[in-house]
Amino acid sequence: MRIILAALLFSLAAQAKETVRIAFIGPLTGGNSAVGLGGRNSADLAVKLHNAGPGSKYQYELVVLDDECKPDAGVQMATKAGSDRSIVAGVTHYCSVVAMATVDTFHRFGLPTIVWGAVLPDITYGHDFKEIHRVNGTMINQNETNAKFMAAQGYKKFAVIHDTTDYGKGHDKYFTKFITESGGQIVGDFGVTADQQDFTAELTQIKALSPQALYFGGLTPIGVRIRSQMDKLGLNAQFDGTSGIVNDDFIKALGPLAESVLAFREGAPAEKLPGGRKFLEEYGKQGYSNPPEAYGPFAFVAADLLMQTIEKTGPDRRKIIAGLAQVKDFDSIVGKITFDDHGQNTVPVITKYVAQDGKWVLWEESEYARGSRKLRGK
Amino acid sequence: MRKGLLAAAAVLAVSLALREDDFALLLLTRVLIVILACLGLNVQFGYAGVVNFAGATFFGVGGYTAAVLARSTAVPHLFILLIGGAAAALAGTILVVPVLRTRGHYAALVTIAFALLFRTFFEVNDALGGPQGLKLPELRIGPVHFNDAIEIGSFFASFYLKYIVLSLLLAALGFAFVLRLERSFIGVALDCIRLDEIAAASFGVDVARWKIVAFTLGNFLIGLAGALSAFMVGFIAPDNYSFGESLIFVSILLLGGLGNPWGLSLASAVVLLLPEKLQVIAEYRFLLFAAVVILILLFRPAGLLPRPLRRLT
Repeated sequence: MRIILAALLFSLAAQAKETVRIAFIGPLTGGNSAVGLGGRNSADLAVKLHNAGPGSKYQYELVVLDDECKPDAGVQMATKAGSDRSIVAGVTHYCSVVAMATVDTFHRFGLPTIVWGAVLPDITYGHDFKEIHRVNGTMINQNETNAKFMAAQGYKKFAVIHDTTDYGKGHDKYFTKFITESGGQIVGDFGVTADQQDFTAELTQIKALSPQALYFGGLTPIGVRIRSQMDKLGLNAQFDGTSGIVNDDFIKALGPLAESVLAFREGAPAEKLPGGRKFLEEYGKQGYSNPPEAYGPFAFVAADLLMQTIEKTGPDRRKIIAGLAQVKDFDSIVGKITFDDHGQNTVPVITKYVAQDGKWVLWEESEYARGSRKLRGK
Repeated sequence: MRKGLLAAAAVLAVSLALREDDFALLLLTRVLIVILACLGLNVQFGYAGVVNFAGATFFGVGGYTAAVLARSTAVPHLFILLIGGAAAALAGTILVVPVLRTRGHYAALVTIAFALLFRTFFEVNDALGGPQGLKLPELRIGPVHFNDAIEIGSFFASFYLKYIVLSLLLAALGFAFVLRLERSFIGVALDCIRLDEIAAASFGVDVARWKIVAFTLGNFLIGLAGALSAFMVGFIAPDNYSFGESLIFVSILLLGGLGNPWGLSLASAVVLLLPEKLQVIAEYRFLLFAAVVILILLFRPAGLLPRPLRRLT
């Protein structure tokens, strides 16, 4: 009897809590939906864990919206979240072009947001709006690490294929900058559209240039095509990728061909941090049908950071913005987070990955680093 | 005429009732803009039988024209909207010759190729913002600043209400124009050409001339809608104008009933609002949406509101 009474009281107390709504916006349909769904699940997990945990003042609810990775759909969803006064903050966008398009909308509605995946520098640095924050690093940091690493491995001649979106072009720009500074040389640079199917023309030219490595700035779908067509043409250069291919789909689609592909991602590897292991464990327990993918941990952290801020400031948009401005050395599953005055996380940790036996393995722990396997093109 | 005024009044009444709900108004504006664009497509596809699978491209030409002019010139914005339409019509002239020389599937292929070509052109052209896109300044017509909320005494309304009024006005004008066109001798000529080109030609109808007229007029309306849409969203990028969007325009036309402006209006509302209402089921919404479209076409193959038979008496 007493237990029932206690349970009843507990549930009453739980119901008495004010419900606070935060939005999640990402690509849930279309070519980038794998990453979008991983992010959605991760943010959802953060909310569930928070609600289940003791001592939270509010009950949280995640409002999930699909930006389709298209700017106009993104602005529409940003308006939906922004104009809904019951939504106090947002975890927003994986696609850079969408994140750029919605900056003004969030500013107009005064909705505090944390970007969880888009890497274009201008998203935080292109304006002075206080609403926009970002937990992941930008493509500048990523390419600096990439270029230095490749130079240290002894690669000198590079060919570049990048998609002609902002994402691919930005990667091309920063990688070229850093690799030439480190003494490397770009022998060929090819822009391709994000939906191109056949790369024979580009790869044949690249083969004639005989680079040691092929740098690829783009997302998984064309990355997969390029890697497999390289094999058909017998182009034996090291495949050097970006954060856009760090997901399970890439390896699944390529099978053994993925072996030795390199990629770089912002943030500390979740599985190596104590909180991160817990994240992966809890994620597994929820039985989501998609893996968290590379940016899931960032979506988790963005949601978590918002909820912890709301606990302190209360569910008021302006107060949350003020609260987020104070974020310094926040411990998270992707490393420490400190926002600068543009809302950008200034502590970028870049993780190096290599595909080994059908998995993305940390470079430091791979057989390639130990020397028992060798990268290509050397 | 009466029906049209009633419909316009109803839209206005609904938007006034929702005047503080930015999102609902944004959706409504989008529906009106898409109606305007599909009216253009209807002249081409529904009347003259000229297939155009590059609707989103002409929409984009209007949008990009508006963006470039508004950013770097002092041309009044109302003219920019019209120039956006004119630019789309002009871009269409590139296609006139191949469209006239091909028929059926081949004409469709020509427009598809054009759409892909233009998409890449937008993407690699850094002067047009490249893949990153362009930001547009606020729309201003005379003393009206379109991005400021409306506050008169205790009356408060979202800034989108102004966009609704403008797009309703343009859509209504487009609607009246297309209806007049259909009733005129031009409409009869276009119908003849669609039904049987050889018969039309043997009766003295200048097939090439009327096809060009229909194609150009249609593109003008699509471009005008595109320019207005670019101002309202405030940001344009090539991703907005993908081939998939062109297919959506065509599907609105087919869903509504080819050749019937009322049908395409209804279909625009269905196609734009239904996926939005289904946001709750997130990634599955397009699946359900597609199922609904298939069901409609299965049970109403001529569209929701098929075009009534023309009576010439």
